[in-house]
Amino acid sequence: MIQVRHLSKRYPSGSVALDDVSLDVAAGEFVTLIGPSGAGKSTLLRSINGLVAPSAGSITVNGEPVTGASREGLRAVRARVGFVFQHFNLLKRLSVLDNVRVGTLSRIGLWPSLAARFPEGETERARRALRRVGLAGLEDRRADTLSGGQQQRVGIARALVQEPRVLLADEPMSSLDPALSRSLMELLRHVNREDGLTVIASLHVLDLAMTYAERIVGLRAGRIVHDGPPPSLTPAVAGLIFEDTRA
Amino acid sequence: MSRVSRWGGAFAIAAALLWSLWSTEVSAGRLVSGAPFMLDFIRRMLPPDLSVLGQALHGALQTLQIALLGTAVAAILAIPLALSAARNTAPRWLFYWTRSALNVFRAIDTLVYALFFVAAVGLGPFPGVLAVVVYTTTVLAKLFSEAIEAMDPGPVEAVQAVGATGVQVLRWGVLPQLGPEFVSFTLYRFETNIRAAAVLGFVGGGGIGFYIQTYLRLLNYPAASTVLLVLIVMVMLVDFTSSRLRARLI
Repeated sequence: MIQVRHLSKRYPSGSVALDDVSLDVAAGEFVTLIGPSGAGKSTLLRSINGLVAPSAGSITVNGEPVTGASREGLRAVRARVGFVFQHFNLLKRLSVLDNVRVGTLSRIGLWPSLAARFPEGETERARRALRRVGLAGLEDRRADTLSGGQQQRVGIARALVQEPRVLLADEPMSSLDPALSRSLMELLRHVNREDGLTVIASLHVLDLAMTYAERIVGLRAGRIVHDGPPPSLTPAVAGLIFEDTRA
Repeated sequence: MSRVSRWGGAFAIAAALLWSLWSTEVSAGRLVSGAPFMLDFIRRMLPPDLSVLGQALHGALQTLQIALLGTAVAAILAIPLALSAARNTAPRWLFYWTRSALNVFRAIDTLVYALFFVAAVGLGPFPGVLAVVVYTTTVLAKLFSEAIEAMDPGPVEAVQAVGATGVQVLRWGVLPQLGPEFVSFTLYRFETNIRAAAVLGFVGGGGIGFYIQTYLRLLNYPAASTVLLVLIVMVMLVDFTSSRLRARLI
């Protein structure tokens, strides 16, 4: 489903976020990316849907190229890739329903989207996505009146309404407390199993990854240093991944 | 801050205040001896001469129209200027030149622009509108550009990430963030422009100021007080309505 080949990213400041990363993720897999902050988890996820342009290497999603894609090609890939952000990235002043309907934009025409006249079917899909994440009844609330956990559920509903093949989640729990993190992980796990959605989630908490992941990929200083099922992540390996790089 | 520079700063401010006090010929004695004249002035304004109410309302309406039209045109002109004056939307050279030009033109107040436009196009409300447009454009462009710079890039990125087109990103990522702020700033400037437009008549720029100045010159204080009362009511009404609207927007 996702093929990453020799991906490198060097930022204009000179810092290297990714250094020759290659990764294959099969359809329906649930992968968690772990690593200390600055290891390149965000850059890797953001490269997969083209929010970051890598310096070298290539990425394909479902056979479609992301790197070097035309503007239309990139939009077509993004339409089938849901992205859940660390800080939710909701439009605070818009209603919950409108925030979710943003996820349908790639399917609706220019004028209906400018006039905010969403087709009835898309609105129904958005309501269904909200029911699924447990927010039925909050459709008309302003997004910024919701709690952090609820806002992230809106973020997940916005991604689900795209009816994506792939769901990328960039530290989706790091602004939330542990109990909420668990319930959101359950939700991601659920859509992974029920819809056969390929999920890649980056996490900064090791025990969440150990509990929910099928496959754990460890990044350190822009390189993949571990790739395997949870039992393979021994304390020694975890130590290698999270060892203080500043020393 | 060190002790020395703190004392130095306090001394400099005190010196500047004393110097200003002396230079502006401030005199408690003159204020006291002038008090009876102020009271007399107010007494002569009462009771207001309501026979000029029609004129006053006509002037007030014109002031309202000058402020309304001037602010609306300025808001539209300010958008492209703000995009050129925001660090995150304009190349560095364009940002630099637009900011500098806006600073230069914003140094001059509406009333001075009115003098200029009265000389250019003649007396009446039209030069008043032009004056409001020029000054308000510079102010709104600055406020808008600061709002653009403070915009949260996260939601914009989120709209891009669902596969939206550029126009859709503007409509759903940018407009919901900036629209209410732009409207709010514009309403705020409209409130201020009512006051600014009220004195444009002093220099021939039309509106209610023309009547205030004329009646004061003719020493017809009861008529002047009617006009002032109309002005006060209009300003309060506009402030009230506009601030209610702004509170609902943000």
